[in-house]
Amino acid sequence: MNHQARVYENVFEMLPSEVNPTPLVRINKLNPGAEFPLYAKLEWVSPFGSVKDRAAWELLRDLEDRGELVPGRGMVEPTSGNTGISLAAMARARGHRLLAIVPNKIPLEKKLLLKIVGADLEVISDELCPAPGLGDGSINLAKTHAKASAQKYVLPNQYENPKNAEAHFKTTGPEIWKQTEGKITHLFASLGTCGTVSGTSKFLRSKNPNIKVIAVQPTEGHDVPGLRNVSQLGVSKLFDPSLVDDILEIDFHLAYTRALELCQNEGLLAGPSSGLIFEGALEIVRRDKKGHGVMIFPDNIFKYTTNMTKHIPGLSDGTQPK
Amino acid sequence: MTKYSNPEVLVETDWVKQHLGQPGIRLVEIDVDTKAYEAGHIPSAVGFNWQTQLQDQLRRDIISQEAFEKLLGDAGISPTDTVILYGDNNNWFSAYGFWLFKIYGHKDVRLMNGGRVKWLNENDKQLTTEVPKIVPTHYKAATPNLELRAMLPEVLQAQAGKNCNLVDVRSNDEFTGKVIAPPGMTETAQRGGHIPGAKSVPWNTAVGADGTFKTADELRAIYVDQKGVDPKKDSIAYCRIGERASHTWFVLKYLLGLPNVKSYDGSWTEYGSIVGAPIEK
Ligand SMILES: Cc1ncc(COP(=O)(O)O)c(C=O)c1O
Repeated sequence: MNHQARVYENVFEMLPSEVNPTPLVRINKLNPGAEFPLYAKLEWVSPFGSVKDRAAWELLRDLEDRGELVPGRGMVEPTSGNTGISLAAMARARGHRLLAIVPNKIPLEKKLLLKIVGADLEVISDELCPAPGLGDGSINLAKTHAKASAQKYVLPNQYENPKNAEAHFKTTGPEIWKQTEGKITHLFASLGTCGTVSGTSKFLRSKNPNIKVIAVQPTEGHDVPGLRNVSQLGVSKLFDPSLVDDILEIDFHLAYTRALELCQNEGLLAGPSSGLIFEGALEIVRRDKKGHGVMIFPDNIFKYTTNMTKHIPGLSDGTQPK
Repeated sequence: MTKYSNPEVLVETDWVKQHLGQPGIRLVEIDVDTKAYEAGHIPSAVGFNWQTQLQDQLRRDIISQEAFEKLLGDAGISPTDTVILYGDNNNWFSAYGFWLFKIYGHKDVRLMNGGRVKWLNENDKQLTTEVPKIVPTHYKAATPNLELRAMLPEVLQAQAGKNCNLVDVRSNDEFTGKVIAPPGMTETAQRGGHIPGAKSVPWNTAVGADGTFKTADELRAIYVDQKGVDPKKDSIAYCRIGERASHTWFVLKYLLGLPNVKSYDGSWTEYGSIVGAPIEK
């Protein structure tokens, strides 16, 4: 493989790593902090389109190495879409299958994409009433399949499997360290499974324990796919509070409006979780004044057009002939 | 530490594992998500569907005595069996099932503490997709014990007379009328709010972080000391359609041993639609 010429023998050689990092792009018009440059790490510049390529690859390789995937036995995984899309596309190219368990509220684009890349899909009605001990409907159903039909399914389990965070310790962290030449002072990330924040933070802190790690999360009742409010974080076993300095709770509408601003002012076609992270970064720029920030932008806007029409008034106006 | 008033109505997952397959022990799974049973259940458990099997399919009511007898007969259950109920959402509908079993006089019915999620997350516990082979029985139920059930006239009387604990077990947003039903739930009412004089004690206050019931002392402190449920008075629990109310009914009647506790299964979908009924927000 040749990263310079970008010629590859198979798509997996393109996956990001220290020698083939996803790009860091500076925010120009929308960052008022003259002494606090902000760089967005564009995780959608990766073969299957999101930050989840990293975890999916690590999880899949681990299952292969351990001989868990044999003819007639595929994977079952709870996903808000991105992990499923990465895992299914990788799996099909390597001769395996994936049953993706998704909550009904994820965008239609993601459900269709899952089917397009060859996942089997099981959609469950959304969480009924968050309560202690209940966990999450899609996680419980995936675990049920893996337990009741172990001959048919193995559960990669992105919410509990340390390989998820390890992927970021091995790739995202070293990439950022090298790309910023060690200058990074603040890392901004969102919380879903918490694989991104835990793995990246652990690596960067091993290089410089003073790096501030800021996590953002949407307010309760949100519809930002991939993210969890504190009240839903109990299922994310990879969450390690000691690896995070601040958790900012941000009005979830801002995820969509900030994403739109990034699209229209910076040419960065960022999705809603990136929008939320950007809002969090702006708050810290105002608070800390000086620094060198890196924001991990998980995916781009293409899968969220339906969600955007719910949050951006007038967006669908004029899309039909009069 | 004091014990539950009726500790025999609750079994732990380990107890269930040890007693699996023993004669006279029958397991029934009842879920909110009616697909969960099919995906995997405790070996030997049968599944009841709350929408199609536990409610009368014509009028709004619990199933009739004949229908209950047929349901249990077809499930191979005898009146002398020990029946263990469990389900998703912290045993919401299995608590409703428990209430129904008691109305029709089944002697020994118990809830599995923590429900299906607790079992699912314990490594030593199995699940299967295999449907058990059933030898049908001729189940004979008792005439219904309607002492366990509050109907609208009694609720209106309790509201007016203030001589009874009315316990609203819905979420805070439902109690205050901000929403009529939790998001995604189809059964609703004409108006939001609560029955005047009702005490708000959301059902989930009764369970801990792992979904199992809190201790008798904790429960007494919450319901009696903090929320003012008077143990000398009769009590009526209500929610939206009667499933969460059954959960609290179970707590008040069996775990705390309050004297006369009823579940109002008409609940808010009935009360909140009655013309002229008093409502508070
Ligand atoms: C769009 C999007 N943003 C953010 C995240 C959060 O990443 P992590 O799960 O590593 O915490 C995810 C993960 O599912 C995602 O799909």
